[in-house]
Amino acid sequence: MNAIASVPTEAVVSVQDLTVTAGARTLLDHVSLDFGARSLTAVVGPSGCGKTTFVRSLNRMTELTAGLAVEGSVRYLGQDIYDAAVDPVVVRRRMGMVFQRPTVFPMSIFENAAFGLRLVHAEEDLVDAAVTEALQRAGLWDEVRAELDRPALSLSGGQQQRLCIARALAVRPRVLLLDEPTSALDPAATQRVEATLQGLKEEIVLVLVTHNVGQAARISDRIAFLHSGKLIEVGPTADILERPRVKLTEQFITGRYA
Amino acid sequence: MATAPILIGLRPEDNLALDRSGHLGRRRAFDRLVGWLLPLLFLVAILPIAWLLYYVGSQALPGFTLATLTTDPSGATGGLFAPLVGSLTILLLGTGVAIAFGFLGGLVTAEYLGEQWAGWIRITANVMVGTPAIIIGLFGYLVFVIYFHWGLSLAAASVTLGVFMTPYVFRATDIAYGSVPPHIREAALGSGARPRQYLFRVASAIAFPQVLGGIFLAMAIGVGETAPLYLTTTTVVLPPTGLFAPASALSLYIWTGFQTGLILPTAIRLAFQAAFLLLVIVIGLNVLVRVIAARARRRLEGLFQ
Ligand SMILES: Nc1ncnc2c1ncn2[C@@H]1O[C@H](COP(=O)(O)OP(=O)(O)OP(=O)(O)O)[C@@H](O)[C@H]1O
Ligand SMILES: [Mg+2]
Repeated sequence: MNAIASVPTEAVVSVQDLTVTAGARTLLDHVSLDFGARSLTAVVGPSGCGKTTFVRSLNRMTELTAGLAVEGSVRYLGQDIYDAAVDPVVVRRRMGMVFQRPTVFPMSIFENAAFGLRLVHAEEDLVDAAVTEALQRAGLWDEVRAELDRPALSLSGGQQQRLCIARALAVRPRVLLLDEPTSALDPAATQRVEATLQGLKEEIVLVLVTHNVGQAARISDRIAFLHSGKLIEVGPTADILERPRVKLTEQFITGRYA
Repeated sequence: MATAPILIGLRPEDNLALDRSGHLGRRRAFDRLVGWLLPLLFLVAILPIAWLLYYVGSQALPGFTLATLTTDPSGATGGLFAPLVGSLTILLLGTGVAIAFGFLGGLVTAEYLGEQWAGWIRITANVMVGTPAIIIGLFGYLVFVIYFHWGLSLAAASVTLGVFMTPYVFRATDIAYGSVPPHIREAALGSGARPRQYLFRVASAIAFPQVLGGIFLAMAIGVGETAPLYLTTTTVVLPPTGLFAPASALSLYIWTGFQTGLILPTAIRLAFQAAFLLLVIVIGLNVLVRVIAARARRRLEGLFQ
């Protein structure tokens, strides 16, 4: 079955025939998908269909798991990120990742947000400005501005998750990968993160893995539906929700998926 | 729209106070028993230590003055300056050796080695912990005193004690770095940290308190050990004059003090004073370990969920 990909005018990330295998198992099967500027693509699909594997292969985090083999290409602004000349560390600094559970480090709120900048030994004035800006963009600034020196672990789960978003944003990536970022949060915290993401999609490419079709409906412009490692269908959110072309998609969307 | 409760007559199980299936009485009796037993067990555990402290203190404190700490022993009288300085010097140098090998070894084992190599090294460390200290002492004697021609000396005693302390520091380091949650590692590497940046900036921030606790624990265990020193240095009445001069130690002093005490009773008082000093140092180090652990728990709360 061929995926029906909408081709954005200028692709920031372009995935071609991406296949990921673990020994004899195929986790992703010839996935091709482009991500244009200013877009929020929701990646949905049943549990175990390969959503996490997909986003992790976009910034070479698949390499942190032993035994995974990646074929095909992922291009970032036209350059193959899997090229031998490309440093995976550099790729990850351009395409940040936010995980299912908040992953703050045992440091102050400020140092957490500044983490990526410290890695490249950014200058102090620059760090101050970038941290402030990142916390503002992540929608956390008003809550923490008075206590940036507080340990980040003392924040609530929702605040921690927004701090993780700020940490990823502080290095000004063009792409932000989010793997079920709200699944550990309560509805109020989820709403704040969703509002944050909606604001961000005006500036950067967002790839949001979610198991929650409602969330995809609320904030994404495009939905990509994965099933058993294959990209079944991708299109504008309204189209996928209201007029899916493939039966499998429709079944999943309407919750009748077994 | 609220639905009306369906109540068609009362059934026996509707009477909560009559339902005994939770065995409330039995649970209460058990709680009372535990409530009595725990303090009792605590007393059983603490009594010998309290009595030891009291007894050693009662023997040591009469006549214990500042001079006891600042003057050298002379014959069976005088103070404990030389063994105190000797013990602390040996302890500090030995700790340096233990950190050099134990910390680096633990770090490499936890972060870089494959499971198989790591497994062998962990077994070796466990065997070392279980090895009688006198055998470590014999090893030190054969290698440092004889083979390296260091003689009975501060250097030989320190390195031997360091060997004795190494597996404790190793274990603490290995466990501390091994217990950094995998999702934290992923997040750091996923943010573009190089493996070494992850290690120094993130993993160490999490592991450091536990490593420090392990170092102090190794010091508490090592400072009173007599066997590693018995064959590698010798009791002298003056503080060590160099690395290759003999250094006295409190633990050795207790031992020789009691032997001499059979002939010269004043030596016994000095031995008790040395024992008292050692106890104070050991308890102090243990308190330090507790304080570090408690502070780390507070700081890292919420990280390991
Ligand atoms: N390292 C690995 N080796 C072998 N199989 C793996 C590995 N990692 C993932 N898998 C398998 O690949 C499939 C896809 O996993 P993935 O985590 O990408 O799914 P997912 O869509 O993110 O699922 P979920 O919604 O539950 O998070 C699963 O069946 C999983 O068991
Ligand atoms: Mg997943």
